[in-house]
Amino acid sequence: MLWVDKYRPKTLDQITVHEDVAQNLKKLVTEQDCPHLLFFGPSGSGKKTLVMALIRQMFGASAEKVKVENKTWKVDAGTRNVEIELTTISSTNHVELTPSDAGFQDRYIVQEIIKDMAKNRPIDSKGKRGHKVLVLNDVDKLSREAQHSLRRTMEKYSSYCRLILCCNSSSRVTEAIRSRCLNVRINGPTDDEIVKVLEFIGKKEGLQLPSGFASRIAEKSNRSLRRAILSFETCRVQQYPFVSNQAIPPMDWEEYISEIASDIMKEQSPKRLYQVRGKLYELLVNCIPPEIILKRLLYELLKKLDAELKHEVCHWAAYYEHRMRLGQKSIFHIEAFVAKFMSIYKSFLISTFG
Amino acid sequence: MDMDMDIPFPDELELLEEDFHLYEDYMEPEPPEIDDEEEIPEKEPSDSPIPQSNSPRLSSIASNSVTDSSSVNGLKRLRSDDADAPMELVSDDAEPSGGKKSRTENSVVETEEAWLRYSPPREKNSTVEEETSLVVEEKTVFRYVTEIDGDFMPITAPDSDERVYAKLGRFGDKEESKKLDLKERHEGIMPENINVLMERAEKEALAKTLEASYDIQLDPCPPQGPVVQERLWVDKYAPSSFTELLSDEQTNREVLLWLKQWDSCVFGSEIRTTSEEVLSSLRRHTAIAQHHRLSGSSFTRKNKFQGRRSGNFQDSTFLDQQNSIANGSQDTLGKKTRLPSPPEQKILLLCGPPGLGKTTLAHVAAKHCGYHVVEINASDDRTSSTIESKILDAIQMNSVLGDARPNCLVIDEIDGALGDGKGAVDVIIKMVSADKKAEKENGSKDQLGKRSSQKGRRGASLSRPVICICNDLYAPALRSLRLMAKVHVFVQPTVNRIVSRLKYICNQEGMRANSAALSALAQYTECDIRSCLNTLQFLYKKKETLSAVEIGSQVVGQKDMSKSVFDVWKEIFYTRKMKLQSRSGGKFRNVCDKMEHLYSLLSYRGDYDLILDGIHENILQLNYHDPVMQKTVKCLEMLGISDLMGQYAMQTHHMNLNVYRPSCIITVHRLVAQVQRPNIEWPKSNQRCRALLLEKTDNLRSWLCKVPPIISRHINSKTLVEDLVSPLLHIISPRTLRPMAMHLLSEKEKDNLTQLVSVMVSYAISYKQIKSDPRLNNTRHEATLDGSVLALDPPIDGFVCFKGYESCHNVLPLPMKQLLIHEVENQKIFQGSYGKLEHISEAKKVNHEGSEDKPLRGGLMKTDPAALSAKNKVDDRKSYTAQHRPSHPTSAFNGNSAPSVSTKSSGAQKKSALGSSSFFDRFRKSGGKGSQNTDSIDKKEITLERDLRPFLFKFNEGFTNAIKRPVRVREFLL
Repeated sequence: MLWVDKYRPKTLDQITVHEDVAQNLKKLVTEQDCPHLLFFGPSGSGKKTLVMALIRQMFGASAEKVKVENKTWKVDAGTRNVEIELTTISSTNHVELTPSDAGFQDRYIVQEIIKDMAKNRPIDSKGKRGHKVLVLNDVDKLSREAQHSLRRTMEKYSSYCRLILCCNSSSRVTEAIRSRCLNVRINGPTDDEIVKVLEFIGKKEGLQLPSGFASRIAEKSNRSLRRAILSFETCRVQQYPFVSNQAIPPMDWEEYISEIASDIMKEQSPKRLYQVRGKLYELLVNCIPPEIILKRLLYELLKKLDAELKHEVCHWAAYYEHRMRLGQKSIFHIEAFVAKFMSIYKSFLISTFG
Repeated sequence: MDMDMDIPFPDELELLEEDFHLYEDYMEPEPPEIDDEEEIPEKEPSDSPIPQSNSPRLSSIASNSVTDSSSVNGLKRLRSDDADAPMELVSDDAEPSGGKKSRTENSVVETEEAWLRYSPPREKNSTVEEETSLVVEEKTVFRYVTEIDGDFMPITAPDSDERVYAKLGRFGDKEESKKLDLKERHEGIMPENINVLMERAEKEALAKTLEASYDIQLDPCPPQGPVVQERLWVDKYAPSSFTELLSDEQTNREVLLWLKQWDSCVFGSEIRTTSEEVLSSLRRHTAIAQHHRLSGSSFTRKNKFQGRRSGNFQDSTFLDQQNSIANGSQDTLGKKTRLPSPPEQKILLLCGPPGLGKTTLAHVAAKHCGYHVVEINASDDRTSSTIESKILDAIQMNSVLGDARPNCLVIDEIDGALGDGKGAVDVIIKMVSADKKAEKENGSKDQLGKRSSQKGRRGASLSRPVICICNDLYAPALRSLRLMAKVHVFVQPTVNRIVSRLKYICNQEGMRANSAALSALAQYTECDIRSCLNTLQFLYKKKETLSAVEIGSQVVGQKDMSKSVFDVWKEIFYTRKMKLQSRSGGKFRNVCDKMEHLYSLLSYRGDYDLILDGIHENILQLNYHDPVMQKTVKCLEMLGISDLMGQYAMQTHHMNLNVYRPSCIITVHRLVAQVQRPNIEWPKSNQRCRALLLEKTDNLRSWLCKVPPIISRHINSKTLVEDLVSPLLHIISPRTLRPMAMHLLSEKEKDNLTQLVSVMVSYAISYKQIKSDPRLNNTRHEATLDGSVLALDPPIDGFVCFKGYESCHNVLPLPMKQLLIHEVENQKIFQGSYGKLEHISEAKKVNHEGSEDKPLRGGLMKTDPAALSAKNKVDDRKSYTAQHRPSHPTSAFNGNSAPSVSTKSSGAQKKSALGSSSFFDRFRKSGGKGSQNTDSIDKKEITLERDLRPFLFKFNEGFTNAIKRPVRVREFLL
């Protein structure tokens, strides 16, 4: 097991990073007054860990006995039958699923399947009807229709079914849903928190941490605890005992994007743009989400850019990211950004150096 | 009545063809017979064509027979075509004397079927009479009996007292006269004129047909009645004979030649009896020689001459044809056994843009070769079940009544509807392939006249020519057909050819149009003659004249043309050099025209996404002048906007928003269009990207499914790629791990190894053997593994392998990988048997086990491996693996683990700090924090008891050292 999984806190008490949140959640559970919850925050901040610990707090250890089901649902959608394949992780008391996996058919999941799951109440050992928890991942990727259908479900079955929604950005969750939930913002852990966690792990593993090493990892981790722990373990595998200036292996795709960025800086022409396009395709093919590519590319470009251009470039990056989210063919928009950058940079070079 | 005698002799076909030429010659002067048929009262068509006098008699007889035949054919409601124009002439010629047929036909089209029901008996009558008439035709009619030196028959015209004597049995024998009889009957079975009328009747308002048919005469003066004008010029001037066709002569000839190749199969016996003639006629067809060849029978020739003399040359042409058919079929009846040899490719596929005359060619050629055309087009039901019976009918049946010519199937617009049209294609392909097998046995049975008896056995063999017509040769539905058909691609006829024809028609109609305007029109419509004619007629009706300059903007309807997507891209990237028009206004006009043109082009094509992809793919390859890349930015911006619009339209279902998408593309055109020819590529990369992305996402999904839920719930595919894959690859391929025997590893290394194995198991990663390029192979083991390497399974290293980027990941040496495979497998087996225990209470159980382990391990040290296995002390995984791994001596292994055991006994915390090698340490550690150790005394007993005798085994394929020991069922259920 990786350290990420190995040292993942299992109960609310063990949680160190978002301790205040954890304690509040614990209070909620003990007072038997748990509303629908919406967890949002960047990836690697510990949303899922909190959710799991919360569920464990609610149902005890039985919540850890889960089974994975890959089931095909047949949904009668008026004129035709829709078949949806869906993977769920479920225990007796809770079900986890990612409705956005179904793509544009996600609304059938929300309308039919979630309703179906919400209806079935588990019966606890004393013959009393308990309540059930549905964990929905990636709610922000749900289509509008699906989100709209979700809100009725939330109200109708609220007496015995709690929804826990997880997403990265609450801005793409409709107002209606947000208002029906207790919103819990899980921000990315600060560098200090990350360092604390890394030191804890190091102690558990019996490792000698040179001073400043953990903070270097934390710095590079982009405030993602997952990434920090993974890089930590990578370093451990690559070289131990640690040296304080040990190289922290970068993410491959980030390296690749920085290559692209230096390509762009070197030459600005349609021909170069064509080469860049080939590399962008490579990234897209390897399942790197386009918005992350764009973000990272901007980051890499800004590193090398003259200060007076930064503002403009940021503006255009935002512009094209917006376009990309509205549109369908992400490569068009990333490429348009690259072209725009090339144009700006080239005219800047010409005006500065003649 | 026998209906299988319609086989023309080839020589007669030649004559026939020549007759067409002659007929053409005759066309120039005004046909002598101007119709006075209005006055002729309607008569029952069954009346006998009795000659009235010697001089007009011949013609009247001929025309009468024509009339009869046409009426008979009318009942079959044959699908007719525009190729029938000359036959129309025939019918018109017939009308002065016969007069009744077309009248009846046209005025009571609706009732004609009922009317025709009576035709069989009537036809019988006419047969007799026609026999007479034909005899007469052959100059066997005399006014005085004394002039005849054989049998004769007196004939009296009903309306005159004159009596003539017809000579009988000119050839002396009875059979011959019978033949004549048959032949005559077939004279009476000429379908063409009625076909034409039928077609017309269907096309126009039914009631108007009569007048329309009169319109046929090529009189230069404009048609008289207002109703008459309703006839479309397209139909009116449709080519009626082979030589009139406007399409490329090469194509025409090849189509005809192909049809001729069927002769031996369809009109079977000729090849035997007059093979010389067949060959020569084929030769002549291909060479379009014009000279007259007197190979036909004498009476045919005579007949023709007579016909010509009387001005009814067309009639005689068809008499010839019918005669020959009759003769041929008689021969067929006589000699039934022969092997037919249809052409290699049994299907002819004509393709080309609309309006070039494909259908016309098919009909004319088929008619010319003596076939009866059966057309199936897009308006018919074309599902495969119905089409099959329809095709079978067309191919294997002949009309019971009257027309005995073999069918020629013309499937028009075969590419039309994808779903339905496919049915037809499938059926045809099935038939062709079935035919290839069953050809020999079936061949002769397919002959005419034997249908009824052998229908069942014949199956679906293709014994008649099939001509398929399509617009788009590369339509997906036609893919398979294309391979087995003879394909002819129509090319545009030259503008001159079109113009001369148009001019001729304009002259005929009395419309004034100069050549320049006509050629502009032809160019504008891309030589679509149908469109030209319709336009002309439209203008004529509006009393407007065509002027060359106005073509674009005038009333002339624009043709709805959709070009191939490549042409569209070409149009976008290519701009014509502006003609040096000094006027800025002219230039502006030009630009407007171009934009309009592009707009219509794009909106006709419609497939914006594909067009966008193509632009995107190719735009950066153009060399337009763009110093600071502003044009590129603008173009990509436009593509983006178009993409946004498309997405919005799709999401909101406002498809009407799509009309604004071409404007973006036109902007791109304005920005980057070049004078030089662009080299356009199909947009592969986007599609490739999409396909690969799907594949990789699938890989990810399936990988995630394999990872146990305790881990997989915390990662989704996005974070997997983003955060996890790169470190994971580093972690599972440590540099420090050396490939060596287990017992040589140091304590720390062993610890690392176990850690690595547990990672690999928990993330469901292993290595597997794949065939790969030998470059990556480890040199030491190359010989043994020859070409196959051990690669990660699932192939997660693929997610960091970008083109032009080498990742810094260490690749483990091959023996290390092999070792890992082994270890991972063992671990999995162990977990599989162990899983249940873990479920109950992982941490607790492990804790207890650790303490229970101690004495067992102590014992383990003392005993030899064989005794170990016999004693079933296998709770420790390591001892288990040692047993099954001969390469690592158990004793050494145990010796190594012994120190760790001793440390273990001292306490859990201490052990973890020292980093001991036991697999259970990590369980203990993770569990150490949890609040346990409470109630599980009884549980501990159970697990302990069970663990004393675990049943672990591994099946070694190819070995017989099976494990034999008594076990309980419970142990299997662990």
